[in-house]
Amino acid sequence: MKKHMIYLAALGCITALTACADSSQNVTLPDGKLDKCTLRFSWWGGDDRHEATLAAIKLWEEQHPDITITPEYGGWDGWTEKVSSQISGGTAPDVMQVNYDWLVSLSPDGNGFYDLGLLSDRLDLSGFDEEVLSFGRMNDKLNAVTVSVSGRGLFYNSESYRKFGASYPETWDDLFALGKTMGEKGCYPLDLDIQSGGTAWYLAVVYVQQHTGREFVSMEGELGFTEDDLKMALDFYKKLEDSRVIRTVKERIDEDGSAALYQSPEFISGNVAGALEWGSSVGKYEMVLPAGVLEAGPLLSDADGNTDGWMIKPSVLYAVSKETKYPDEAAAFMDFMLSDPECAKILGTTRGIPVSRRAEEALEAAGLLRGLARDNDEMLSALDVVTISPYMELPRIKEICNSAIEKVSYGKADSSQAAKELYTSAEEYLRKVRK
Amino acid sequence: MKKRNYRNPVGVGKYTGLLLITPFIIGFAVFTLYPFAASFALGLTDFDGIRQPRFIGTENFTDMLSSSDFRNAAAVTLKYTFILVPLKLAVSLLAAVLLNAGIRGIGVYRTIFYVPSILGSNLAIVIMWQFLFTSGGLADQLLGLAGLPSVSWYGTGSGAMLIIVLLRLWEFGSAMILFLNALRDIPGEYYDAAKVDGCGRINSFFRITLPLLGRVTFLNLVLQVIAAMQEFSAPYMITGGGPMKGTYTIGMLIYDEMFRYHNAGYANAVSWAFFMLVTGIVLVLFAVTRRRREEFI
Repeated sequence: MKKHMIYLAALGCITALTACADSSQNVTLPDGKLDKCTLRFSWWGGDDRHEATLAAIKLWEEQHPDITITPEYGGWDGWTEKVSSQISGGTAPDVMQVNYDWLVSLSPDGNGFYDLGLLSDRLDLSGFDEEVLSFGRMNDKLNAVTVSVSGRGLFYNSESYRKFGASYPETWDDLFALGKTMGEKGCYPLDLDIQSGGTAWYLAVVYVQQHTGREFVSMEGELGFTEDDLKMALDFYKKLEDSRVIRTVKERIDEDGSAALYQSPEFISGNVAGALEWGSSVGKYEMVLPAGVLEAGPLLSDADGNTDGWMIKPSVLYAVSKETKYPDEAAAFMDFMLSDPECAKILGTTRGIPVSRRAEEALEAAGLLRGLARDNDEMLSALDVVTISPYMELPRIKEICNSAIEKVSYGKADSSQAAKELYTSAEEYLRKVRK
Repeated sequence: MKKRNYRNPVGVGKYTGLLLITPFIIGFAVFTLYPFAASFALGLTDFDGIRQPRFIGTENFTDMLSSSDFRNAAAVTLKYTFILVPLKLAVSLLAAVLLNAGIRGIGVYRTIFYVPSILGSNLAIVIMWQFLFTSGGLADQLLGLAGLPSVSWYGTGSGAMLIIVLLRLWEFGSAMILFLNALRDIPGEYYDAAKVDGCGRINSFFRITLPLLGRVTFLNLVLQVIAAMQEFSAPYMITGGGPMKGTYTIGMLIYDEMFRYHNAGYANAVSWAFFMLVTGIVLVLFAVTRRRREEFI
């Protein structure tokens, strides 16, 4: 009897769990009407993005008094975890700003988000290139729409550079030389981190891609770098530290704790005078320095002027929850955020240069297509860029790469050992997630 | 003598008691028992939090045993517990003894000492800790005033561990309250008699106070060990588990596997292993202190 009870309880648990997963298939279909409702909209970002988005929501509510928007926003750290748990718990916001890799991790079969192909009556995608739309497709289902395409660029504190009589580097050799001009005198020309952003690994990947022509991870999730390439990346990073171009991992943690670079007193005071950041997110760095002090610098090339290897990706995308009870309303709001000319003027370039033609034209006409995001965008447009694989953005891959850099920085492993471990771990993990 | 009948004011019935505790039973079943059992079931699957779980037997458990991350997290958690718990018991006992020494305005001091326990490890505390322990921070300045060299708090595993320990040590209020209540139950006559016999204060503490606090010390020990083993928020917010995973506790490992890496099956398996580990440690504590505890009764 007791044994039967245990079996029954176990069966109950598994049935309930299966039921949880099954409930995801019950999608509310659009009915063509805009009903009175409250939608939840979530995004991450810095203060500039928060303020602009709240103002855009205000405009939406003035235009649509029946559809109220409840905003949910915060910084990037911990945001993936928050939204993942909401999605798996069936409590995701109706409309979400999503990151590129979430499509792979949260919707590998295309069923993790609402199929936006069903919402074409409310969501006008005529102003989007097919290539841009393809970033949001999983298993032939349109899961998300790209807001902007962006890449990381180099941004410098012009006052600090001027103080040392230094000019912005154009080649990798110029960058290393700045260690002597600035780093050895107590002002670091650049900063790279191994936090969630992982700028250290990003720049190392650019360097290796430029020198080898191979991509770190392919769009299909295959590791493109060889073990030697990974060693080259780690050696490059270590050389940056040794040349005093950047702070060591230890110096960085000692000085900043767990704070992000734009919150670091060293960056705000100009002792750290450079950042590698997405054009779509550079506003938060700009805000903490006096107006006009932060400037975009050239994307680095080798001595022969080869500028390959720099990367772009959809910086952010919008998706609708598959659990939403208001697909029409969510689609209408998403369309507003993506393409409404007035909304575009309010949002400016806080999420990068919009890829929606309607939004871009509105910004152009209003003279708002300027600033660091635009400068960075133009520099990247002039290059033969690599589209980042969503697999490169997966948190586990970032953690594996960051961990290798940390070991090399702390001297716990030489670059050969660390590259070997990195290669094995990354290969194993990518094989697992490709299944 | 006539036998009196007492009537149950809420109405006597065979199932009245059961009915009254039903809300708790339902809450316990839904929010504790079910997740507990479901967690074990999930630990036997490859659930990623999104797709249908697939039964994979004990694979998660075998993976866990061969994982260097798990071994490191277990070692960090145990090290943290062994450093923090004795320190916290000593500090809370010392504070309780001081507060029990007939100081005026004891209520005010008790509140002041308890405030850090309420604050926990929230964002404001994280900022304060950063202000204190980043290089050139207040801790370094104080060391400098004392002529001591500055310390790499965040940048080394031991330094980072120490700042997490200090945060939790600062929150000694609840352990102190338990000690304080127990101290007040010790009859003053014992001390008077000891004084007459020529026993000094320190001797009284070791021969009267400490033995009579045996049971509450054990209670505090068990509670603090369980709390320390479950540590998550302090390293998560202050050190991010670094450097070199020097403060990466099992709590952080479970969180990362569950929410960052979408490895829910594995996270649940680790949770169960962790539960067994904590239970094992508590049972060992009960076993090794049994004789002493029986003496106190």
